[in-house]
Amino acid sequence: MLLLSALILMACGGGNGTTPGKKIALLLPDTPTALQTRAYFEDLVTQVCPNCQVLYNAATTDAEQQTQAASAISSGASVMVLDPVHGATASTIVAQAKAANIPVVSYDRMVLNTPNLSYFVSFDTGAAGGLMAGSLVTALGSKVKPTVVEINGDPADGNTKTFKDGALSAINGKFTPARQYDTPGGTAANAKAEMERALADLKFRIDGVLAANDKLAGGAIAAMKGNVRPWPPVTGQGADLAAIQRIVTGDQYMTLYMSSKAEAEAAAQIAYDLAFGITLPASMSGGKTVNNGNADVPSVLLTPVVVTKANVEATVVADGFWSADDICTTQFISACAEAGIA
Amino acid sequence: MSRVPSRQGDAPGSGSVRPAVTSGDVGPQADVASAELEPAPDLTAAPEAGVAAVPPELIAQTLGEYVRAYVARITAGESGVLPVIVAMAAIMIVFQAISPNHVYLSPVNVVNLFQQSAVFMVLAMAVGFALILGEIDLSVGFVGALGAAITVQLVQPLNTNWPWWAGIAAGLFACTVFGVIQGTLVTRLRLPSFIVTLGGYLIANGLFLMVLLIGPFSGFPSLAGFSNNLQVIYNLMWGNFDPTTSWIAAAVVVVALDGYIWLGDARRRKSGLVAPPVGVTVIKMLLIAVVAVIVVSICNANRANRGVLEGVPYVIPIVLAVLGAWTMLLQSTKFGRYMYAIGGNPEAARRAGINVALVRTVGFALCSFTAGIAMLLYASLLGGMSNNLQGGQYVLYAVAAAVIGGTSLFGGRGKPLHGVLGGLVIGGIYNGMYLQGLPVQWEYVVTGLVLLAALTIDSLSRRGASSGSVTRA
Repeated sequence: MLLLSALILMACGGGNGTTPGKKIALLLPDTPTALQTRAYFEDLVTQVCPNCQVLYNAATTDAEQQTQAASAISSGASVMVLDPVHGATASTIVAQAKAANIPVVSYDRMVLNTPNLSYFVSFDTGAAGGLMAGSLVTALGSKVKPTVVEINGDPADGNTKTFKDGALSAINGKFTPARQYDTPGGTAANAKAEMERALADLKFRIDGVLAANDKLAGGAIAAMKGNVRPWPPVTGQGADLAAIQRIVTGDQYMTLYMSSKAEAEAAAQIAYDLAFGITLPASMSGGKTVNNGNADVPSVLLTPVVVTKANVEATVVADGFWSADDICTTQFISACAEAGIA
Repeated sequence: MSRVPSRQGDAPGSGSVRPAVTSGDVGPQADVASAELEPAPDLTAAPEAGVAAVPPELIAQTLGEYVRAYVARITAGESGVLPVIVAMAAIMIVFQAISPNHVYLSPVNVVNLFQQSAVFMVLAMAVGFALILGEIDLSVGFVGALGAAITVQLVQPLNTNWPWWAGIAAGLFACTVFGVIQGTLVTRLRLPSFIVTLGGYLIANGLFLMVLLIGPFSGFPSLAGFSNNLQVIYNLMWGNFDPTTSWIAAAVVVVALDGYIWLGDARRRKSGLVAPPVGVTVIKMLLIAVVAVIVVSICNANRANRGVLEGVPYVIPIVLAVLGAWTMLLQSTKFGRYMYAIGGNPEAARRAGINVALVRTVGFALCSFTAGIAMLLYASLLGGMSNNLQGGQYVLYAVAAAVIGGTSLFGGRGKPLHGVLGGLVIGGIYNGMYLQGLPVQWEYVVTGLVLLAALTIDSLSRRGASSGSVTRA
């Protein structure tokens, strides 16, 4: 983040607001978070280049996104930031941009099988499992041979394996999960059923729950509620509103927050640099690359932030990801006050 | 969409306002009775209406007469492609005026527009076969997509690795089979085409998704890759002729078309058949040349921000080839005449000795086959096939395009050219709205409104036309 701010300052100093305007295309899938991403992105672009214009659109199908991309190229975009509706078919969009000599930044998700990407901006998903297991180890402290239940996502989901591998290396022999489950469909209901089985097997003695995401954590917590004492730390991922509320009340120990603000700002900065032909500093990607099936794409991989009761206010609330009003509904007002969220 | 010819269909209604038919006798007999009375109103119709019923080239000997006959036809409701040309001009003017920095008519966007419209154009020509028969085919989007998915899967180098032509042939063959089955159900079992093709739509959608799931592509077989076969299909939409070749090819096409028109009309004149005046022939030939020069000039301009991107995209000759082939088939063959005859009045066609069931089945097969070509272009545009295709929406766009172009929903009237022009209108709106950066919701609303407007024009012009039954009301 510091590096980013430095870059922004540099750009402002050089530009002095007299920079000629360029057009930066931002094409996202039509999801509930798209508008927020757009706002973060546009804010940063306006900061570094007041005369620049963001050509934004959001699509529900890949064909729509393709048309939006063609329109952006027609409208004279200098650079394109693309979160593909589908990684496979989006390579056509990149090829079209390449034909018109427009650099493309793959945003959040990778455009597959194309040699023409300039950058990839996303989160280090490989680090997620490690971060979660690591913070669980911290929470368990010096407890000897703790009883930990590990609840993984859907076995068919590619992320599940990445999570398990990351978690395993962070656990590093400090404990062996007493029970491990792969959750079909990754649903909260199945996670709850798994936890109920674990409770019966382990005689209601549980020291920690390593749940792969907030949904699974929600299911596990529902099963344990009123049955387990003392309350164990439960991990999660995604910074879902329900998870943040559980963190505030203490039901969930932590979640991972992938700051869409940091991600959008990183992409905006890279897009600005590409539009004006500024060479990106090597430190930007740290030499990291991600293979997309065709090429190793220089990548900026942000590290997810661990959110616990102590830093809810400083992370998700400060970014505007969730407002205090969102979190502190009637039943959570007192817990919010305790956690210092206002 | 009713197969029943409109004259008979309207007969009970007109019977009730005409005292001549005994009241309460609105049964089949009444139908036949009023159908037999049918020619009478035409004899008493206004002379202009009589003139309007025949194409101007059949009565005009000079250019002046031709123009007068043409105007008479338009005022009588037989407006042909005029409304769609006017609509196209209006769309161009409006979007050029409101598009950011007036990029709508810039070469890069016009070529985009051609590429995006190509799918609509060919799909509209496909559904045109059903419309000419007075039927509807709701399945074209997914049937075509099924064929395209088969093609894209078969040419994947990782598994089957078929040559591109074999893959395309297999895809189009699958579409044709689907069309034959639907056509047979409609013609032999006399099931309504609306329902048969609605069923076909769902079945094709399901099969399409199944085909996509085959192989290691998680449902998204792609055309990106180094294989020559993938590249050929990808280039259907994205490949360009180089500028010199573009000019030469355009010249060849113009000379061939103009020669065909000139020789055709000259032969008719020589053998004393009715033929359009020489002036009209020359104007037609000039128009073709002018359109060709405009299109090639636009495509040959450099379309890249930086670097070079120029030339006529392959998709333009592909669409023209489909247009040419189907125009020849419908306008110059016995089969084509039968199609129109059946669409106009199936019972009369049957009595004239036409094998109605066979011709209609072939019509449905041609519809599905052409849909296969359209969705192959879609696959090429997308650079692969994916499961979030909006096949239903594409059908509506295709029907809208055909109707906007001048094809009648009531059967017996329509040309492949209508699909192309209507497709350009739909594509023009679609493209213009995206340039505005409007969310897609608006696209649906506007396209729906355009469809309703086109349908209204179709219906109103029928009312004005002497051939329509509504003149009696």
